[in-house]
Amino acid sequence: MNELFLMTHVLFGVGCMVTAVWLFVDVLHAHEENLTRIRRVSWAAAILMWLAFFIGGGWYVVSYPVDKAIILKGPWPFAHSYFMETKEHLVIMLLVLVTYLPIAASNNLAANPEARRVVLWVAAAIVLLALLVEGHGAIIAMGVKVALLAKQH
Amino acid sequence: MENAPVSKYTISFGLSVALSSVINALLVVVKEKSQAVLAALQKISGHQWVTHSAIVLILFGFFGWLFARANGGQGLQMTVNRLIGTILAGVVTGGVIIIGFYLIGD
Repeated sequence: MNELFLMTHVLFGVGCMVTAVWLFVDVLHAHEENLTRIRRVSWAAAILMWLAFFIGGGWYVVSYPVDKAIILKGPWPFAHSYFMETKEHLVIMLLVLVTYLPIAASNNLAANPEARRVVLWVAAAIVLLALLVEGHGAIIAMGVKVALLAKQH
Repeated sequence: MENAPVSKYTISFGLSVALSSVINALLVVVKEKSQAVLAALQKISGHQWVTHSAIVLILFGFFGWLFARANGGQGLQMTVNRLIGTILAGVVTGGVIIIGFYLIGD
């Protein structure tokens, strides 16, 4: 059950990243007809990120100490000492950036190319940062796996 | 200065993103180097990371609100190019400080 809970964190995080890509493409073709959708998608990205943050944060506070102990005894201690330590702080920055997205998308993007550029840069930064964070998460999970495998041999 | 063709909240919260990102990174360095700060963060909410997150999010809201009230309620004025540059500079600086600290500083 705990693992399923953790997978929803990953699901919402990936959902946020995919939504930011969707927003980027939609803003490239912004016109009066898709303005409402653009604003809804920007809110969706923010909501998905907040869900990922709360679920991941709850798991990190309550359940991660067990994984941390396993990782630190295994062959990949850097999965915690570098990757988790970095991830848990980069994700705060990502949350702030995604929360800003609906504010930036509230301008008239159809009529205003300057406002479009703000959203495009912010969405691009979100995608890159989210990819980095997802990659960190994968290495942390692998850190647990290699530690448990090493314990068996 | 040319007035930016975006809302005052786009500018004020954009600047707040940049500032909060750098503060987030500096708080990482300070708490990792000072046991007293780490213990204080731990004591406030029961977990240092929860307090850390809450501080950064509250500061993001506060600075966004504060910058929007500048210039007699018109908000801070700047060009869009400068706004984008500031946001990206803040995020990159915050990221480099965090990654650099855990790679070589910790």
